[in-house]
Amino acid sequence: MIADWPISTICGSRREEALTFHAKMTREARYLGFRQIAIVATKELRDRLRNGWVIACALVWLGAIGLTSLFGLVQMGRIGVQGYERTTVSLLNLVQYLVPLLAVLVGHDLIVREREDRTLNLVLAGGVSRFRLLLGKFLGGCLTVALPLVLGFVIAGTVIGLAAGTSALASFARLAVSGLALGIVFCAVGLLVSTICRSRIQALVLALLAWCAAVFVFDLIALGVIVSTQSVNAAQEIELICDATHVNSLADVHSAFDSAAPTHAAAAPRASSASSAWLWLNPVDLFRVINLPTALGVAKPVLGAVLSGLLWLAFTLGIGARRLKQMDL
Amino acid sequence: MNASLQITGLSKRYGSVCALDGVELPVERCAVLALLGPNGAGKSTLFGCLLGLTPPTYGTILWHGKPIGDTERTVIGYMPERVALYSHSSVLENGLFFAGLKNQPSAELEYQLRRVGLYHVRDRKVRQLSKGMLQRLGLAIALCGRPELLILDEPFNGLDPALLEGLQGILRQERERGATMLISTHTMSAIEPLATHVAVLLEGKLAAQGSIEALREQFGTEESLETIYHAIARDRQRTKLEEVFA
Repeated sequence: MIADWPISTICGSRREEALTFHAKMTREARYLGFRQIAIVATKELRDRLRNGWVIACALVWLGAIGLTSLFGLVQMGRIGVQGYERTTVSLLNLVQYLVPLLAVLVGHDLIVREREDRTLNLVLAGGVSRFRLLLGKFLGGCLTVALPLVLGFVIAGTVIGLAAGTSALASFARLAVSGLALGIVFCAVGLLVSTICRSRIQALVLALLAWCAAVFVFDLIALGVIVSTQSVNAAQEIELICDATHVNSLADVHSAFDSAAPTHAAAAPRASSASSAWLWLNPVDLFRVINLPTALGVAKPVLGAVLSGLLWLAFTLGIGARRLKQMDL
Repeated sequence: MNASLQITGLSKRYGSVCALDGVELPVERCAVLALLGPNGAGKSTLFGCLLGLTPPTYGTILWHGKPIGDTERTVIGYMPERVALYSHSSVLENGLFFAGLKNQPSAELEYQLRRVGLYHVRDRKVRQLSKGMLQRLGLAIALCGRPELLILDEPFNGLDPALLEGLQGILRQERERGATMLISTHTMSAIEPLATHVAVLLEGKLAAQGSIEALREQFGTEESLETIYHAIARDRQRTKLEEVFA
């Protein structure tokens, strides 16, 4: 069989034939690789659609966005559908907690579930490389996170647009896109957890700890360190960025949309690139800064956020691939 | 010898435990190799190394002269000892998933399902299948794509006589097709009519290997495979005792 001969030992027209054969085999192997990634990803999404996860999450997002828009100004004595900008401010807290949580929950059992059920053996024995399996699982996880989020934002966004009669979509779209990116990063974090742990329960605990660390602990530690080492001005600025609850309770973020007069919050200094560089470490903080209302006068490091997200993906998927490669089944 | 699979110096260590110790095993093209040994002898570890599930500590595995990799593994059919599939999916969905990973069309899967007698339950969930049905589904998935190399880990476990006969018939057809087969089993009476070669693993080491005829000549017996196996095991035990007391 010509495929068994080293090409260097073949001469003349047989060499051409052998080269063509090997090129064809390489093409086929590459095609099979993409196909395997797509099959694994599709199966993941189909399973989540079947067990109701996607539908439940879509309903959660629809409800959350709709209710936030309707009752977001209740503390100011107003009930009714708000425009996009106010809905975005009201939604910021919810999205920054809920998106990472749902994404790590999707990601945490992608590998460990198959390992516990022993289906991983048969998948890998079928010629799927571990890296392709990881990519397929990641892609499936991302689709599972993205589908309900996009559905929720598109449907609720359309309703808000029609009910409030506003078309200033920019902040709402930015919230949706950055929320999606945040979800993808945390899905990768969940996937990393899934490759590290040996049981589903261990993975769940570690995933929740990772979520807590990113959403609560990082900010507290960062605030502590920075407040104790920098000026009062810097501390105020960082507090504004770190604590979204503080943002909402700060002198009328919402009233900023009603008048052109500068608010207490708007008087805060713009974050300098030096003092906000630490934000790059935590995707949740970057997400928060990017979505803060323009009226607060905080710089939006969009490029930094994209770079940070890509680095987080490279880091988590790289370590995950390494762990999976070393996994002894 | 025309070895399609060449295992050289294969060792696997788990800490201080040596699961495989320098296994040298050439497997001829179209051979049916019965891999025998007691529980914990290293049979499943050897299969794990072949399938890329367990990275070996030392040694090489060549398939047609090339190191075995993921691309080569698409021509391997594998049936594990405990067939684990996606229990919430149907027979057909499971089959299509694994067939798709090997780039096989649905017609090939349907043919294999018919062959193992599961086509009529193709829409049934896997969790509703009996153990025998699950074994047959595992076999259908392993056979999908007419693999050049079939690795079956304890395929005869828990089968009733009718299913056992059916499985033997399918494996006979595969042998005639020209598939190379590695079958580990404790049911020696079931593998005896099929096997062309035997390898005996004891405590991670290859105690004996060769064609059935050669082993029969070596051990001077015309008895069954089980008798040969026991003779090899006794021989090994005696050698070990002699080494201890020497």
